[in-house]
Amino acid sequence: MEETLTAIDGLKAAHETLQLSAQNNELKEIRAAAFDKFMALGGFPDRRAEEYKYSPFKTLIEQNVDFLGGVPTGNSTLEKKWEFEGSRVVLINGQFDAASSAILDDIHLEVKNLPTIPEEHDPLALLNTAFFREEVLITYSGKEKANVAIHHLLDLNGSSVIAQPRISYKVTSGTLNVAENYEINGDGSLFFNSSQIGHVSANAALNITKVQSFSDDHLVAENSNIFQERDSRFYINTYSFSGKLVRNNLYIAQEEEHCESHMLGLYLLDGKSHVDNHTAVDHKHPNSYSNELYKGIVDDKSKAVFNGKIFVREGAQKTNAFQSNNNISLSDSATVNTKPQLEIWADDVKCSHGCTVGQLDEEAIFYLRARGLDLVSAKAMLLVAFAEDTLQNVPFKEVKATLEKMIEERLLS
Amino acid sequence: MLKISNLQASIEDKDILNGINLEVKAGEVHAIMGPNGSGKSTLASVLAGREDYEVTEGSIEYLGNDITELAPEERAREGIFLAFQYPVEIPGVSTTNFLKTALNQVREHRGEKALDAVSFLKLMKEKMKLVEIDQALLSRSLNEGFSGGEKKRNEIFQMAMLEPKLAILDETDSGLDIDALRIVANGVNTLKSSDNATIVVTHYQRLLDYIVPDFVHVLYKGRIVKSGDKSLALELEEKGYDWIKEEVDGQLV
Repeated sequence: MEETLTAIDGLKAAHETLQLSAQNNELKEIRAAAFDKFMALGGFPDRRAEEYKYSPFKTLIEQNVDFLGGVPTGNSTLEKKWEFEGSRVVLINGQFDAASSAILDDIHLEVKNLPTIPEEHDPLALLNTAFFREEVLITYSGKEKANVAIHHLLDLNGSSVIAQPRISYKVTSGTLNVAENYEINGDGSLFFNSSQIGHVSANAALNITKVQSFSDDHLVAENSNIFQERDSRFYINTYSFSGKLVRNNLYIAQEEEHCESHMLGLYLLDGKSHVDNHTAVDHKHPNSYSNELYKGIVDDKSKAVFNGKIFVREGAQKTNAFQSNNNISLSDSATVNTKPQLEIWADDVKCSHGCTVGQLDEEAIFYLRARGLDLVSAKAMLLVAFAEDTLQNVPFKEVKATLEKMIEERLLS
Repeated sequence: MLKISNLQASIEDKDILNGINLEVKAGEVHAIMGPNGSGKSTLASVLAGREDYEVTEGSIEYLGNDITELAPEERAREGIFLAFQYPVEIPGVSTTNFLKTALNQVREHRGEKALDAVSFLKLMKEKMKLVEIDQALLSRSLNEGFSGGEKKRNEIFQMAMLEPKLAILDETDSGLDIDALRIVANGVNTLKSSDNATIVVTHYQRLLDYIVPDFVHVLYKGRIVKSGDKSLALELEEKGYDWIKEEVDGQLV
């Protein structure tokens, strides 16, 4: 019990300190309201919170995060993981670093002192707002497309780092392609709690690819709130390779007719990694479409959680919504908790969902071996093939190649 | 080339093969026939190294070495090829893609250097003609949505690419119409040489009209109960298997 008090007291003290240094009253109020709501929801979620029952953060945060440690300023040496034509946005330990960023003319970047606030209900998203420092707003209003690489550089250097970046995208026309890279320097504990807001205007498109390559002792929550206007397209591609606990909260609101939302995800877990994808698509108006495919390969004692909500509101007729979550378990000790959750209030819709947890097909393995492939290659070939279709919406060939290599390396090990 | 002695095998404690003796020399074609459930496909699987079966007695000698304990891929690399009765569908893996990896692993084992993309494609085009298979089919997911004939042609195509010394065709005729049967048989015959051998496992005689065997063996209750030349196959076609069953069961009683 004592530990609990200490952690929450630390959090409260850290919040007070942050508030004292603030000049702007509006900001103070926003932070205070978010913090109060966070506390009212019970603080860090534990098993009793329905949405977190398989991924309780509370104990892990209490044991691993020091809220009074402050945010150390990191070093800006970045090992560029991929190079494609486009802007480079670097955030060091959650804060925008102008010196190492390179912004092209095709986009507009602004560091805001007040947050864009979607209606937040999630405790971790609220925590991000409660500790708001700045928001990186990226706007694209061109006719064609712009590319942006977001590099989250996390410089641990043996300390306990809390990084709570906040990024928002505004696409008023054309297509904005974003690839997020997470680069961690040094050992130390990390609590990464990001907030991401996307506004996709009529006829525009936003495509976000996340390559989450955290380490086994990192705590991660990524909160994404996307709002789509008529005839807009949104793509998100999430790849998770490890983490003590990685939680992706994705909420997509289709605010008008003829929206398209495409969600692809892949998690390759071993050791004691734990990855949780909670997604929700809210079909509010007629004639919209969503397609979701998350796949996972779990090994050792790893744990995967998938929860896919599809809401089809009354009047959102002619909605087409598809969802599937397929898993391959390579170990008896790995766990998968998967739950589709469809709530449909309209009567003229096409919705489907399915989830599977299985093993590799022994017959297929024998077939490949009978043609001369060794066991490891045969298994890797089947697993790569299984994973491949989650890569189809990644717009950058460099990122796709990196991902393919990461997948292959992981599966051949 | 192949010498099977007193081979006994079981699956989940059920005995399937009860002492098979068979010798196959280079240049020969052997047909294994027999009623359903006699152990024909088991024999083919055990020769290819399927691990579901446990060899409880006897040995398989191939090119002078005992291969009973070898893994399937080691047998394949030594030149044993099993054409599957039911070729597996593998979503996301194309024939071209997997065969390139397979062929290069086989070549590496033989001490040959890996084929580059151009040489591989050239070899593929040459072998494709043999079984009249289309390149588009080979770029698709392996066997997924293939017709019965396409699957079997793909098996023989892979055989042509891997150039085995011992080919085992497990019920390759099942599910084939007459045209596909002729194409498949023609492929097998073209690949035949004095250096390699073929074992044809079949329930019916019709495939043997096209792939003419030097020896015909009848398998029943996990044993070879009768051997002869191709006329034995014709006799079976005419009279069925009952007379053999009666003969054998009579002896056993």
